[in-house]
Amino acid sequence: MTWNSNGGGGPQRPWGQGPRPPQPPDMEKVYQMFRDKFGGSMDGKRFWPIAIGVVMVIWMFTGIYVVGPDEEGVVTRFGRYIESTIPGPHYHLPYPIEEVYKPKVTQVRRIEIGYRTRGRSAVDVAAESLMLTGDENIIDIDLSVQYRVNNAADSLFNVRNPPRDPSYVVRNVAETAIRQVIGRNSIDEALTIGKERIQANTLSTMQKILDDYKSGILIVAVQLQQVAPPEEVVHAFKDVASAREDRVRAINEAEGYANDILPKAKGEAAKQLQEAEGYKTAKVARAKGDVQRFLSLHKEYTRSPEVTVSRLYLETMEEVLLKTDKVVVDPRAGQGVLPYLPLDRLKENASPPQQPRKGGEP
Amino acid sequence: MNSRASMGIGIILVVLVIVLSQTIFTIHQVEQALVVQLGKPIRAFTDPGIHFKIPFIQEVFTFDRRLLVLDQESQEVLSSDKKNLKVDNYAQWRIEDPLKFYQTVRNEAGAESRLNDIVYSNLREVLGQFTMMEIVSGERLNLMKQIREQANIQTRQYGIELVDVRIKRTDLPPENSKAVYRRMQTERERQAKQYRAEGEEEAVKIRSQANREREVMLAEAYGTAQKLRGEGDATAAAIYGEAFQQDPRFYEFVRSLEAYRKAFVQGTTLVLEPDGFFRYFKGPSINPR
Repeated sequence: MTWNSNGGGGPQRPWGQGPRPPQPPDMEKVYQMFRDKFGGSMDGKRFWPIAIGVVMVIWMFTGIYVVGPDEEGVVTRFGRYIESTIPGPHYHLPYPIEEVYKPKVTQVRRIEIGYRTRGRSAVDVAAESLMLTGDENIIDIDLSVQYRVNNAADSLFNVRNPPRDPSYVVRNVAETAIRQVIGRNSIDEALTIGKERIQANTLSTMQKILDDYKSGILIVAVQLQQVAPPEEVVHAFKDVASAREDRVRAINEAEGYANDILPKAKGEAAKQLQEAEGYKTAKVARAKGDVQRFLSLHKEYTRSPEVTVSRLYLETMEEVLLKTDKVVVDPRAGQGVLPYLPLDRLKENASPPQQPRKGGEP
Repeated sequence: MNSRASMGIGIILVVLVIVLSQTIFTIHQVEQALVVQLGKPIRAFTDPGIHFKIPFIQEVFTFDRRLLVLDQESQEVLSSDKKNLKVDNYAQWRIEDPLKFYQTVRNEAGAESRLNDIVYSNLREVLGQFTMMEIVSGERLNLMKQIREQANIQTRQYGIELVDVRIKRTDLPPENSKAVYRRMQTERERQAKQYRAEGEEEAVKIRSQANREREVMLAEAYGTAQKLRGEGDATAAAIYGEAFQQDPRFYEFVRSLEAYRKAFVQGTTLVLEPDGFFRYFKGPSINPR
């Protein structure tokens, strides 16, 4: 009984279908061919050994196989794993004794957790991407995982993926690992500085689990595509960011204010000092000048005091009286009578010269 | 050789092939097998390769040797702090003993339904001993191990080994999620307010310090300026004093004259006695009084 003929209940082959058995040569055709070649001279005695020999040779040739540069050959003998072979031409004993599988080992595969790329846009898968953080918050994380087969035999024989989903186990492990890692981080760490570390931890956690399964899979990279607060609270988170900006803005504005008024005050101070310096210097200079003038005059005064005094007096009076309106009143004229000087009226009609003469001479 | 003889050989060959195919069987690397004789399990083969059995009366059942996955529906679990958690988990298992397996659950479908019950009940029991946050963050590894070990005791009787039980997702039921979102929101609002207030605080500090500096700067400048002016005044006074001291009376005279000149401006009305300046007004006399 061969392994693929036992119907239901039996397991599937690593890839659903096994390696295709070589087509058995059509005996009727071969027989005909020999007949035609050797004509009637061919009899049963010679035909059968030759025919069997040819078939044997063809059969032996079916054991030649080539492992591609991106593949690894895995050979089984009667189903049992024998050896792995590197790229290049090889030979295995023909079916059904030995079989060969050639999984691609250099090809890096990629799975998406939390989203699915549909053409150019990505569709969010909320159930996968929302997770609890260590500080009891909920965060929305999308990540991609890249992996490849690094042990062909292990990948074929140790873990079974459900049919038509070769990444099933890797996906499960990835979801477990990312939540395990996020569960130990705070939301702020995950959102800001912790990304690198989260990626590294997720990768190592995944690798450890897959190694425990002897899956023969190597995680090449774990990349956080998006780390964001959930949609319900994203507005509040954005507001925090803008509040942080507001803080900086307020400080900048205040500093701008300081930068505006302080230099102006400095200028004002300098101006006041300059003015004071100027005042001081001017005052002294003026004093010196005044004194100089006085001393010069005094010198002349000492030479002829009487005359100088009179001259100065008269010159001054002259000048003063020239400018002013004058009312000369003899004190004796007012005796006994109430002296009345209509000064108001005098001022009004500023010109008439008669009136001041009123009390001139008795 | 006549045709009858060759026909006989042919028949023998065909019979031989049929008998051989009923005797020889191979077990693939991913399989293990159980030989059943007339419905009675005889022997388990876990070794891949070529094997033999008695033809016709013995039958071979093959089972997978690989790690198999049991992905379970998520379900609600109550943590020790009475919080509802939606737990989604998966398990990796393998058929450890084909004989027991065949006898108890027969095939994978049977095994899965049995495993479902076992893993669920152990999951509930173990998770119930931990608080929600322990499940989410701290104790995950530990409790997954505990679930696996506990469940394994029960699965052995089915010839099944649970290699790994993993909690994939631990989510909150919708109403709890909403509560968390509300809390997250208020937390952030608080933070935003704090940032803004901090900005305000800092700004007020900067402004008031600048104002203070300006006041001080201007006052100091005023002080210095006054000092300078005072010095100027003092120096001037000293200069005046020194000079005028030589003849105070003359100074007074000269200064008075200057004051008159300045004080009596155009339009002032003077009421004067006719003496002094006017003493000559009444008549010529050189020697007054």
